[in-house]
Amino acid sequence: MKNIYNKNILLILLALMLSCSDDFIEVASQDENSEEFFNSEADYQKALIGAYDLLQSTYLNVMLGEIASDNTLAGGESATDVPGIQEVDDMVHTPLNAQLRDIWNWMFAGVNRANFILEFQDKTDFSGKEGVIAQARFLRAYYYFELVKWFGDVPLAVDKRIQFGEQFSLERTSKGQIYAQMEEDLVFASANLPYVQNETGRITKGAAQALLGKVYLYQEKFSEAATVLEDLINNGPYALLTDYSTMFENDNENNIESVFEVQYTDKEGAGFGCLQCSEGNVAVGFNGIRNYSGPVFDSGFSFNVPTQEVVDAFEEGDIRLDTAILDIDAWAEANNASFSTGYEHTGYFNRKYIARKGDLNTGDANLTNPNNYRAIRFADVLLMAAEALNRGGISDTRALTYLNRVRTRATLDALDVTGTELTNAIYQERRVELVGEGHRFFDLVRTGRAAQEINGFVAGKHEVFPIPLIEIELAGNIWEQNPGY
Amino acid sequence: MRQKLFKMLMLLCFSYASGQNIEISGNVQDNSGFPIPGVNVIVKNTTKGAVTDFDGNFTIVDVPTGSILVFSYIGYVTKEVTVNNSDKLTVTMEEDLAKLDEVVVIGYGAQKKKEVTGAVSVVSSETIEALKPTRVEQALQGQVAGVNITSQSGSPGGNTTISIRGVSTNGDSRPLILVDGNVIEDLSVINPNDIASVNVLKDATAGIYGVRAANGVILITTKTGRKEQPLTIEYDMYVGFQETTRKIPVLNASEYGALVNEAFAAGGETPPFSDLSQLGVGTDWQDEVFEKAPIINHGITFKGGNEKSTYAFNSSFITQDGIVGGSKSNFTRFTQRASYNVDLLDNLKFTSGLFLTRSSKRNLVESALGSVLFNALNMAPTIPVIDEEGRFTIAEGLGNEVINPIAQTVNTNDLTKTLRLSGNAGLGYTFLDHFTAQANIQFNYSEVDGYVYRPIQNYGSGKVFNVDRSEVVERLDYYRDYTFDAFVKYENSFNDTHNVKALLGTSVFRTKGVFTGLRGFDVDTTAPNIDNADEVEDINQARGFDPRFDSRLLSYFTRLQYDYKGKYLFSAVIRRDGSTKFGPENRFGYFPSGSIGWVASDEDFLSGSNTLNFLKLRASYGILGNDRIRDFGFISLLNGEGTYVFNNELAFGLGTGAVSNPEIRWEKQKTLNIGFDMRLFNNKVDITADYFQKRTEDLLVVPQVSGLLGVGAPGASAPTVNAGIVDNKGIEFAIGYSDNISDDFKFSIKYNVTAIQNEVISVSGDGDFIAGGSFGVGQDPPARMEAGFPIGYFRGFKTNGIYQNQAQVDASPTINDRVQPGDLIFVDTDGDGDIDDDDRVNIGDPIPDATMGLNISFDYKGFDFAAYAFASVGNEIVRNYERNQNLTNRPRYFLDRWTGEGSTNSDPRVTTGANSNILFSDYFVEDGSFIRLQNIQLGYTFGEEVFENSKISKLRLYVTASNLFTLTEYRGYDPTASSGDPIGGGIDQGFYPNPKTFLFGLNLKL
Repeated sequence: MKNIYNKNILLILLALMLSCSDDFIEVASQDENSEEFFNSEADYQKALIGAYDLLQSTYLNVMLGEIASDNTLAGGESATDVPGIQEVDDMVHTPLNAQLRDIWNWMFAGVNRANFILEFQDKTDFSGKEGVIAQARFLRAYYYFELVKWFGDVPLAVDKRIQFGEQFSLERTSKGQIYAQMEEDLVFASANLPYVQNETGRITKGAAQALLGKVYLYQEKFSEAATVLEDLINNGPYALLTDYSTMFENDNENNIESVFEVQYTDKEGAGFGCLQCSEGNVAVGFNGIRNYSGPVFDSGFSFNVPTQEVVDAFEEGDIRLDTAILDIDAWAEANNASFSTGYEHTGYFNRKYIARKGDLNTGDANLTNPNNYRAIRFADVLLMAAEALNRGGISDTRALTYLNRVRTRATLDALDVTGTELTNAIYQERRVELVGEGHRFFDLVRTGRAAQEINGFVAGKHEVFPIPLIEIELAGNIWEQNPGY
Repeated sequence: MRQKLFKMLMLLCFSYASGQNIEISGNVQDNSGFPIPGVNVIVKNTTKGAVTDFDGNFTIVDVPTGSILVFSYIGYVTKEVTVNNSDKLTVTMEEDLAKLDEVVVIGYGAQKKKEVTGAVSVVSSETIEALKPTRVEQALQGQVAGVNITSQSGSPGGNTTISIRGVSTNGDSRPLILVDGNVIEDLSVINPNDIASVNVLKDATAGIYGVRAANGVILITTKTGRKEQPLTIEYDMYVGFQETTRKIPVLNASEYGALVNEAFAAGGETPPFSDLSQLGVGTDWQDEVFEKAPIINHGITFKGGNEKSTYAFNSSFITQDGIVGGSKSNFTRFTQRASYNVDLLDNLKFTSGLFLTRSSKRNLVESALGSVLFNALNMAPTIPVIDEEGRFTIAEGLGNEVINPIAQTVNTNDLTKTLRLSGNAGLGYTFLDHFTAQANIQFNYSEVDGYVYRPIQNYGSGKVFNVDRSEVVERLDYYRDYTFDAFVKYENSFNDTHNVKALLGTSVFRTKGVFTGLRGFDVDTTAPNIDNADEVEDINQARGFDPRFDSRLLSYFTRLQYDYKGKYLFSAVIRRDGSTKFGPENRFGYFPSGSIGWVASDEDFLSGSNTLNFLKLRASYGILGNDRIRDFGFISLLNGEGTYVFNNELAFGLGTGAVSNPEIRWEKQKTLNIGFDMRLFNNKVDITADYFQKRTEDLLVVPQVSGLLGVGAPGASAPTVNAGIVDNKGIEFAIGYSDNISDDFKFSIKYNVTAIQNEVISVSGDGDFIAGGSFGVGQDPPARMEAGFPIGYFRGFKTNGIYQNQAQVDASPTINDRVQPGDLIFVDTDGDGDIDDDDRVNIGDPIPDATMGLNISFDYKGFDFAAYAFASVGNEIVRNYERNQNLTNRPRYFLDRWTGEGSTNSDPRVTTGANSNILFSDYFVEDGSFIRLQNIQLGYTFGEEVFENSKISKLRLYVTASNLFTLTEYRGYDPTASSGDPIGGGIDQGFYPNPKTFLFGLNLKL
């Protein structure tokens, strides 16, 4: 009896020992596997939102683009506050620059997320899919445009993600080839998107046309640029906002002048550990008035401070000056406000994009300002069209019309000039119309005026920024650095 | 034939002469006269015998006179007594000081210490009782060679980092910790008083745990009752207080004012303090922040057993306030533990244990820019704590991070509560004489409940800690895991010469968890909880990720042990592990290890020696694994963040998280150990020495990878890859001397030293590195893991004094054209005539060259005394608690700053102007070597005679002081300051110092 009992125990123990087969460690992930995704329209929409997300990280491109130009100084707390920004301001940046690396990384992250959708574009069909693909292609073009502006030739990936292991053998693709891909993407996007989307913030036909026009203009393809931009001017639903002073306020977002606008919100917290994770406009907090206490505005880190030179660039009577530039001493005196001075204090702040009161101030309040970035305004479109028509020798008359629409809105007198004089007038108008919006440096570079306008700018070197040294190394050390670095 | 007859006669004679059989009774006692129950008494060379009862008494009938009685009991020296008459015997058994039969737990079994062939260290319950740690880890520091414990904070319940034989990875380097076979990662839930022994497997012996063994294995066994033991009740308590070990000397208000004025003047600005005579001494912010904090502990244990079963029950309570923040950093823990073991049949044994812990910990911001201590050091002494209107003052002009630390403490509401239930049950079954089968199940269940409430707060304009919108976060995370082990053992001895043991078993482990959490804003201040908040969102679900994890391990293992007469010892282990951490192709790993030993003192040529009582040489080699990496690193999951805004509302999408690496495989550590154990001079001197070499290959690291892979996206991260080799080589040496000088006086002294050399051989190919840690604001990470250097070395500028005059500045390369006399001289280490990034070099590392522990104890009559010191030599530490803003306070050493040519060559000038003196350089790296009197204790035990008519059998009163003093040249609070990170540890951002503690306690036994 006892023996049987013993045997039973033994059998049970043996059974227990053998009860586990290797299947035990086959565990499915609780999160979606990226290789097995895209089974429904909802999946495509989710991935698309993921691709939009990186637009928010372009706050750095806007801020640094402005600081690189002759419009603003780096500012901040001290000479060593964010060295990467200080160096770009002084045109002494090197391949070791944390902010340039952020731009590189974030823009390629955007490219990869857009390509993720395009890699699987044929997997599942649903009605309205072209619209999703069109948005993804616009985003890829947008991110590549940034990469080309900042770094020149970069590796081009089309309709596939760059996977681990592949990063060591990718050559830099020539700028021209990347532009060709952008054009293709944007032509597709403008053909497959409506001028008005159901949701604000979505990419529209207008956005695609405007970016396409800009891409042509950067390549000096003036007639193509003029064609697409005039098409947009004539057929799109956009107009100049009558009251320029309300343009950048939070209650006037996605207004009639906004052709493409990067959306931000204060509804989610953020921290310095992951700036690109913020749903707010990080640049706004960085640009804000240091230790400010008073009405209308909130405090910030006093970066990106306008120079006297750009203030002086405004013509007498230009109503845009007070909207673009905040004279902090005058303001403080008039409003009984206080502030402290940071590094390179000029007495001016970039009023279009500094922190304002009235938002939720979700912590860290400096990083969650909800101010949308008006990436492409109708005024920009008009000035681009004017430039293309003028520089392309197509029609100075139409060019002048577009220029004067912008000037008139600013309560300035209409001009009547042609030829090079008109070209210069358009350049001047771009500067004052778009100051603080991150366009100046690239406008100067593409029109060949950077060396004469920017202190320390070396022609043949500073047109593009250095590829971060570490990124060259991490990609197999097969690329040559941009010249001069 | 004649001979045979003769023999028979002799035998008869013998039996006649001694053939009278008698009844023997007696009592067995220990040294101090206490009865020992459960002692085996056997008539030698027979099966006849008895076991002593509760009172130590035994009786054996029918014993031939002249027989030899053998008394044996674990932990005591076996004693033989010849009986010649029936007089009642009183046998005193000596405790086995040499601990020849001490048992070492080696995983799925135990082994006599004498026969152990690996490097295994044991910390006994006596050590733990003597040290009175609030956490188990504190009892390990310096007690065990090769084990380094650093606390990540001195706050109550603060975490510790355990590293065994150096740091071999920049990933998770925690050892595997098993409590009664149960995986317990967080030792703060354990009451140290429940522990019977801690066994540390430091070398290839750990190989029995395969893929989890590379960081070492710590096996903890808990106390149980003893068979035939009457119910004993023990009550332990102590009360005391803690205070800070030091305050950092900072400037008072007058000195501060003068220095600030000087800095402003040097920067070409108007000095802010026009009348220094008004300033006086001002506020001593450290006095405001530090306080004496109480600590109270109670514990009660019931234990006992009958002939078939044993039981123990323990309940404990500890509560401790913090020296910073008082009740705002309180830690409170209740534990209940029960164990019950029973022999169901002679050959079927059941063991079980259950323990329940509830703890709560309040958290302040620590060891970071903006921590309470960081603020106390940087806050201006000219600012009072509260203003005339009774409100907390704000810290205008002191930078965006420095705020009033008292206001900060008051406004911090951060509480973590943990409920944990752990249990184990096992059946052991012996059959066919030599086989034992064992099945054990262990489980843990825990709930971690986090609560954070941030009220609206203004600390000054632009402060990063301002809260404009009140917020409450409530989290509740659940974790559960189980381990099931089943194994069969075979043990046999052939001809008393060939001893064989074999083990074959399987183990499965599964751990899973769910994270839940809600966040709400605009909270009702009277009842700040999530029910009274607006815009409540689910922290985890909002983005559509599944906040669950489930990881598993399936293992088979076998161990063969053979010895020849206990003299030549061999052991071999192989384990096969399957881990869900790796992809299908690399899921299974085989981990072999082996060891040999030679007990040289058992050889004839050494055996009779009085000087050399014991000598064993041992060697081991094995390949161990490490799978402490994120789950599903081999596939690309959509668990990144993909959030955008449409219609002015958040829109939640998806993006890939960590970049996948399908090739990922376990980390391999090849470990070699050679050592010896020796006892000399009648076992009074005990020496253990080891040399080890560990090479970790296929290091699991998360390196920097190309941005082309999309790692810059929100929620994305670099893949885990096998790239890198790290070497750790070292020696461990421990020597102890213990002696009973007289009946009344016992003395022992123990010393151990560990020296480890760490070198990174490669990191994902040549020339690569991984950077980490932070210094100052907006500067590059100061620490690196890089080939040719120790892991986590500090990389910065080398300085060579101070520029004394302009000519000197003009004559040398400088970092920029702002450098002036009075600034630090950065050395152009590469000699290219430029000071740039290439001039940054190794300026120290946080890894000590050697650590050592010294224990001294003696007992004289009723008195007992113990002292324990710990030292660390050759570790560097980075001073990073100075904010260096125009108006922040400074340490007193600024009084020795450069003020003109020839004034000093060590501390730079002060100025508000742009300067590069705050760039990371060796000016901020200090020698962190220290020696610390960790614990000193004096006790007195009242013997039984005092309590003759009461039930009390023992009462001990003691006083103890911990962390009484530290000798160091480091200028910060605590030279042990470290986050514990392999890269970025050893950077002091205002470390919460380990407090000095004074306790009074008693142990009462019924």
